[in-house]
Amino acid sequence: MIGFVLRRLVQLVPVLLIASLGIWAILYAVPGGPVAGLVGENATPEQIAAVTAQYGLDRPVVVQYLDWLRRAAVGDLGVSIYASEPVVDLIGQRLPATLHLAVAATLVALALGIPVGVISAISPGSWIDRALSAWSALALGVPTFWLGILLILWFAVDLRWLPAVSGYVPIWEEPLTAIRNLLLPAITLGVYVSGILARFLRASLVSELRADYVRTARAKGLPERQVVGIHIMRNALLPFITIVGLMMASFIGGAVVTEAVFTYPGLGRLLIQAISTRDYPLIQGCIVVILILYVAINLAVDVLYAYVDPRIDYG
Amino acid sequence: MRLAEGTANAGPVLSVRGLKVAFAVADRHVPVVRGVDFDVYQNEVLCIVGESGSGKSVTSLAVTGLLPETARVEGSITLGGVEVNGAGRDALRRMRGEDVGFVFQDPGTTLNPVLKVGRQITEGQVALSRLRPAEAEGRAVELLRDVDIADPEQRVRQYPHQFSGGMRQRAVIAMAIAGQPKLIIADEPTTALDVTVQAQVLSVLARRQAEMRAAVVLITHDLGVVAQVADRVAVMYGGRIVETGPVEAIFRSPRHPYTRALLRSIPRMDTDEVRLDPIPGQPPMPHALPAGCAFEPRCALGSGRPRCREEEPPLSTVASEQNAACHFVDEAPPAPKVHAMARPKMAEAEAPPLLDVKGLKVHFPIKSSVLQRTTGWVRAVDGVDISVRAGETLSLVGESGCGKTTIGRTVMGLVQATAGDIRFDGQSMVRLGPADKRKARRRMQYIFQDPYSSLNPVLPAEDIVAEPLRIHGLYDEMGGAERVAELFDMVGLSRSMLSRYPSEFSGGQRQRIGIARALILAPRLVILDEPVAALDVSIQAQILNLLQDLQAELGLSYLFIAHNLSVVRHISDRVAVMYLGRIVEQGTRDELYSNPVHPYTQSLLSAAPDPDPAARHSSRRIVLEGEIPSPAAPPSGCVFHPRCFRADARCCAEVPAFRPYPGLATWTACHHAGPLEQNPAALAEVSR
Ligand SMILES: Nc1ncnc2c1ncn2[C@@H]1O[C@H](COP(=O)(O)OP(=O)(O)OP(=O)(O)O)[C@@H](O)[C@H]1O
Ligand code: SF4
Ligand code: SF4
Ligand SMILES: [Mg+2]
Repeated sequence: MIGFVLRRLVQLVPVLLIASLGIWAILYAVPGGPVAGLVGENATPEQIAAVTAQYGLDRPVVVQYLDWLRRAAVGDLGVSIYASEPVVDLIGQRLPATLHLAVAATLVALALGIPVGVISAISPGSWIDRALSAWSALALGVPTFWLGILLILWFAVDLRWLPAVSGYVPIWEEPLTAIRNLLLPAITLGVYVSGILARFLRASLVSELRADYVRTARAKGLPERQVVGIHIMRNALLPFITIVGLMMASFIGGAVVTEAVFTYPGLGRLLIQAISTRDYPLIQGCIVVILILYVAINLAVDVLYAYVDPRIDYG
Repeated sequence: MRLAEGTANAGPVLSVRGLKVAFAVADRHVPVVRGVDFDVYQNEVLCIVGESGSGKSVTSLAVTGLLPETARVEGSITLGGVEVNGAGRDALRRMRGEDVGFVFQDPGTTLNPVLKVGRQITEGQVALSRLRPAEAEGRAVELLRDVDIADPEQRVRQYPHQFSGGMRQRAVIAMAIAGQPKLIIADEPTTALDVTVQAQVLSVLARRQAEMRAAVVLITHDLGVVAQVADRVAVMYGGRIVETGPVEAIFRSPRHPYTRALLRSIPRMDTDEVRLDPIPGQPPMPHALPAGCAFEPRCALGSGRPRCREEEPPLSTVASEQNAACHFVDEAPPAPKVHAMARPKMAEAEAPPLLDVKGLKVHFPIKSSVLQRTTGWVRAVDGVDISVRAGETLSLVGESGCGKTTIGRTVMGLVQATAGDIRFDGQSMVRLGPADKRKARRRMQYIFQDPYSSLNPVLPAEDIVAEPLRIHGLYDEMGGAERVAELFDMVGLSRSMLSRYPSEFSGGQRQRIGIARALILAPRLVILDEPVAALDVSIQAQILNLLQDLQAELGLSYLFIAHNLSVVRHISDRVAVMYLGRIVEQGTRDELYSNPVHPYTQSLLSAAPDPDPAARHSSRRIVLEGEIPSPAAPPSGCVFHPRCFRADARCCAEVPAFRPYPGLATWTACHHAGPLEQNPAALAEVSR
């Protein structure tokens, strides 16, 4: 298993290389750059040239990339053009917030999605199944910004139970405040994907229900609770783990809308800001970090898979 | 298993009366079981036989309330005196765990892949509080030992994928007997297994059943298995039992026309009958049953008779303990038709072979999943010589995984040979360029095992049959649509079916389409890979006859790949027996079947169940231990030595050469080849 993890980490290197090269290429292919925004509208060509040189942007693209690469290899992702702070620090501030939100949203999604999926799978066509499938359609159909705003209006503005602006508080420092802050954005994200999870789980449970081993399990006199809870669940969870992993990975860089609605200090918003100002080092840094997290989550999924599915042998 | 004794005073363990099952399909009920009555007594084996779809499995599932909710079950089922139909959930559950043990068909899917085998064996008993969790593993070890699994202490903690097919089925038997049930229901328990493994599994089942004096309902379509294990037999057709009686009576004096026809349609190893007597037509579909007797459209005795058409015959007594459902049981059966010799005369031995394979090796690389490095080789075919002469049938037999199919595919050029030469009509195929290869391949065609997946479902039958013509650009040259229609006639399909799609054909008809497609280019050699293995016996006989007729008419050569020894005996001129990538014995059909000299051939022939109940007392059986080893790590010396009853030190070290056996027209690869009788001591050791 350790060997497997190491091999996967080694494989990550070329992935990151290609990805960073790709980002660099795209950034330079698109006209415009960060300098225009920095110097203002009335800048003279001399001023522009000076600023360009100051950030090293006048060097050949390949040299810039190789320079970036050389530093990135030792953990230096450069300095943000706009914030004038090291990219590593900027990301370091946002990363814990993003991880908090991703975990909280995943928990909400599982708490809603698993019961919905299981109940509708074991009683297909019943009123409860229909009600639940309406729910999952609704959850998928409602735009996240709309749900987010609705939640803010109810719980923050009308009821004043929860804050409207969700700052980041580490959960190990002030657990209660942290939960209050995370609750609304986590529900907003979680509800949306719980619809996907419920549908997926229902489909994989329904197909497992028809498997021969289910008949065997019933034939030996197991109660239905065990047939579904142990025999079917163990098998249905296998593909489910992959989906949950993908979903969690999507929360890392892709929760932009929710982060914006709640003005939550996550990585997604940082990346969007960086893109809108063409802050090259920051864009590059954000994407590389998101990519690493993405691969880490996938790796965790594979490890979990091997644990749940005895047929997989990573040697 | 012996006939029930002293059961007259005790009531039946299971008693079924008027069982009817209908499935709700698109707002109507389709009857699939239509009034079934039977009893099974303690220490008795009742075999239910019948073709696919006759309702055998549904009957067995109804007995324990395991049918899906779409099923409507009527009638009375009493198990140990307690009514099952309509019983509450908990009562049913208790009954399944305590009174009934189930063995299902496919051991590959009946076990849960992600739970440990030991747990699966005992969890039912634990859930019913008949076993304490702390004792569960110990009990599972005991049960595995009872079903002859070596090293049970390790095995209980393993997962199903670490077991071979035969071991999985034995684990399922361990599960079935875990609660010391009164009744064991086994639905096609050995259909998915090789004959030597089938023999092991049946022997384990018989021993445990005898020990517990359990009643057994064994469902099968294999009349050989029935003859070997049944005390009583119930024959099902179209959702009803059409005949039931003691096993000897059913085989010796069957009274229902269907039973008689079924027994006549199977190829047998003990006769030289040259032509099978198939049952015409198809079994009825449950939603389109005839009004009167379900067998009427296919019945030689009653077809067209008004009474048979209008009135369903009741099951009535025809002899002591024998019942049959037929209006005309007392009428003499129609005399069996006398058939013309269909088999071609044996090809001239001097003629140069049409197909000549020399020293063929096919090795497949094993790649490690991560870095795609080759970490080993699967020796699927490891040095094989065979030849097929014009107009003859050479059969390759052997158990699954021995490399039969790979040889066929390599000859066709679908797989690259690693070493050796393949000559077709004097021309070496290995060194031909792609264009010449294609041309040569026109004269060589392949017929697949599975008639369901081998036909493109979106093409009409005529296009499927015409496909090879189009591929070779010969559509117009060879007669186009007229040629396709001719082929339809030739394989016994009506021209009105030309534009139908594969899904509208039955399994047997699909196989006819496959044959038509193979023959349209007028090939000289046809490679048939298990062409009848997926078909019911009555349909199998139709196809075998068709193949023989076509061979005689068109002078075809067949390379026939199969695992069923009776079918092979029926159709072959010469037979080659394969084991783990090698030919171990090859000879003329008669020589090989009457004087086998290789221990593996002898074991195979002895393991194949004979459809004659008398044979079970007289014949001595060799029950081989273990299963075929992996071709990625073949044993040293003679590859058969770990399972061979004659193996000695020399066998472990030295590979036996394939050479003629003195005095017989047989070639064999064995250091101690010889007739079975020469080794009485060895035999005594292996027969149980
Ligand atoms: N759940 C179901 N819903 C609808 N029809 C069904 C269902 N299960 C079985 N049938 C139908 O019932 C009929 C009898 O099926 P059954 O499985 O008992 O046949 P069988 O005799 O066991 O055949 P085989 O030899 O193929 O196992 C078939 O026509 C089958 O299609
Ligand atoms: S009742 Fe008529 S059709 Fe049915 S089996 Fe008897 S003779 Fe044949
Ligand atoms: S060579 Fe030895 S092990 Fe092989 S079949 Fe002959 S007797 Fe058995
Ligand atoms: Mg069946």
